[in-house]
This record gives sequence, structure tokens and C-alpha cells, in this order.
Amino acid sequence: MLDAFSRAVVSADSKGAPIGTGDLVALRKYVADANKRIDATLAITQNVSCIAADAIAGMVCENTGMTQPGGNCYPTRRMAACLRDGEIILRYVSYALLAGDPSVLDDRCLNGLKETYMALGVPIASAVRAVEIMKVATVAIMTETNSGRKMFDGINSGSGAQCQEIAAEAASYFDRVISSLG
Amino acid sequence: MKSAVTTVVAAADAAGRFPSMSDFEAVRGSFDRAKARMEAAEKLASGIDKVTADAIDAVYSKGSYDQANKDKCTRDIHHYLRLINYCLVTGGTGPLDEWGIAGMREVIRAQVLPTAAYIEAFTHIRDRVCIPRDMDQQAATEFKGLLDYLINALS
Repeated sequence: MLDAFSRAVVSADSKGAPIGTGDLVALRKYVADANKRIDATLAITQNVSCIAADAIAGMVCENTGMTQPGGNCYPTRRMAACLRDGEIILRYVSYALLAGDPSVLDDRCLNGLKETYMALGVPIASAVRAVEIMKVATVAIMTETNSGRKMFDGINSGSGAQCQEIAAEAASYFDRVISSLG
Repeated sequence: MKSAVTTVVAAADAAGRFPSMSDFEAVRGSFDRAKARMEAAEKLASGIDKVTADAIDAVYSKGSYDQANKDKCTRDIHHYLRLINYCLVTGGTGPLDEWGIAGMREVIRAQVLPTAAYIEAFTHIRDRVCIPRDMDQQAATEFKGLLDYLINALS
């Protein structure tokens, strides 16, 4: 597993060169943005059940046959598995966001996920749709652009708009999930 | 690769939980030192060739080591300094442990390398760090800590 720092180290090592001023620019930014990054991660961790439940509910609403007999979310045991997977994906996205690198998501969550879903007969298109909803919801909560109440308490006041860049990074991790399933 | 952040994430993952407030505090705590670490890494990177040459000259000018080993020693000192540069960036001893120290004893024994010369060179580098000419106090502390760690491992 890598983070922003060890990623820089691994790429410098492949060149056999030490890490100099140029490579340090991005890392210094990562350190300077640490509080925003923590706030953005909090936006996920404080709203996990909400994000996952909404996404699965949205997926089912768009395809109501899923909860009928014969559907992939019938009976509740299978719906529950779906909710669980939503939370697991959010968990790995939160790790990747904190680390500033997608390797933990790739290695521990996405590697083999598509094959597992195919073997279990999980409809990939629906799974992708649920991840898409989670992405939109997460970004909205993170940037405080969601309608209604503020959804998380960051450790810095007035983050929201300042989390734009990191929210874009979070969105890229969800896109990673989507493209690995597609 | 172990660093402050990956250690926290690995522990959270092993327990199957989301990153908690104490995890965030641990990550933030490691960033408090990051500025000094990165300055040390930057200064070391820009002077790595000079630092290496300086230390090798000091060690080999005494004549107590076989001159034939000088080139190998230069190469290795440069290599270890590069790993120290990586350690300064990651904020942990991961790069040194994984790429420098693991298997080091076996290699040194098999190649009959003059570890005493290495230790002397790193001690020379550690003692020659000048504050504030080379780097500031905190950066020097981080750098010297890693040099001591390596000297210990070589001893």
C-alpha cells in the first residue's frame, strides 16, 4: 500500500534519483492541505450509512423489479449484502482519500471485484449505478453543495468550498471503482 | 511501503473500520514534522554528490582503508543517502528497512565490505551537518536521527 509520499519514493527509486525540489512541490501541497483532506474524509465517514443507503435505494427505485421475487435485491438478505458492499467501497475510498493515493483501493477492494460480482451474478450495471450515486452524494456533502442541512462537522470551520479540489480527487476514486467494474 | 499514513490505514483496514478521529490526529501529528523533513530531504538531494564525496575523501585520506574499495564505498554511501532522502520524505524508516537494511548483513558478509569505513563516513556526515548553513535545526535533527538509525544497523 502506498500513500502520496511513498508513491513519490517508489517512482524516484525507479529512476535511482533522490527526491528533489520539483517532486516536493506536490507533497508540500498535500501537507498544506492536510486539514482539508481530513475534513473531506470526515464528510464520508460521518455519512456512510446515509450515502450507501441512499445509493442503494436510488438504484432500486430506478429498477423496481430488483426487490420483487426473482430480482437481485430479493430477499432482504441480498439487499443487505448490497448495502454492506456500498459501505465497503466507501471505506476504501476514504482510505485512498486520506492517503492521497489509490493503491489501497486498487489492491484491497477493486482487484478481483468484477470477477467476484460476475461469479455471484450481481448485475454490474446496477452496481455501477449505485457507485455513481455514491459519488455524486459524497461530492455534494464534501463541498456542502447538497440541498438541506450541512451534513458533516469538519475540524476546520467553513471548509466546504475549500474542499473542491479534494472532492474532485474523491470523485476520481469513485470513477476508478466504476471503470474497474465496467 | 510503511509511512505514517499507510500505518494508520492498514490498522483501520485490519479492524474493518473507517478512519477515526484518533487516526486523523496521528496523520496530522506526522505532518507537524513534515516541513522540517522535506527541507532536509531537499537540501540532501541537492547536495548528495558533494556530501558523498566529502565523506569518502575524509575517510579514505587517512589511509587506514584499502583504496581499491573507494569506488564501491562511494556508490554505497550515495545509495544509503538516497534511501535516507526517501525516509525523510515518507516520515518513516520504511525505505531504509526494506531496501537498505533487509539482507544487508548477508551482502556485507558475502562481499567482505568494509563496514567500518561506512560507519566512519556516516558519522563524518552526521558531525559535519552545519546549522544553519546546511539546513535548519529541526531539519538537521530529522536527518541526524536517520543517520544514527543507519549507523546502528551497520554496527
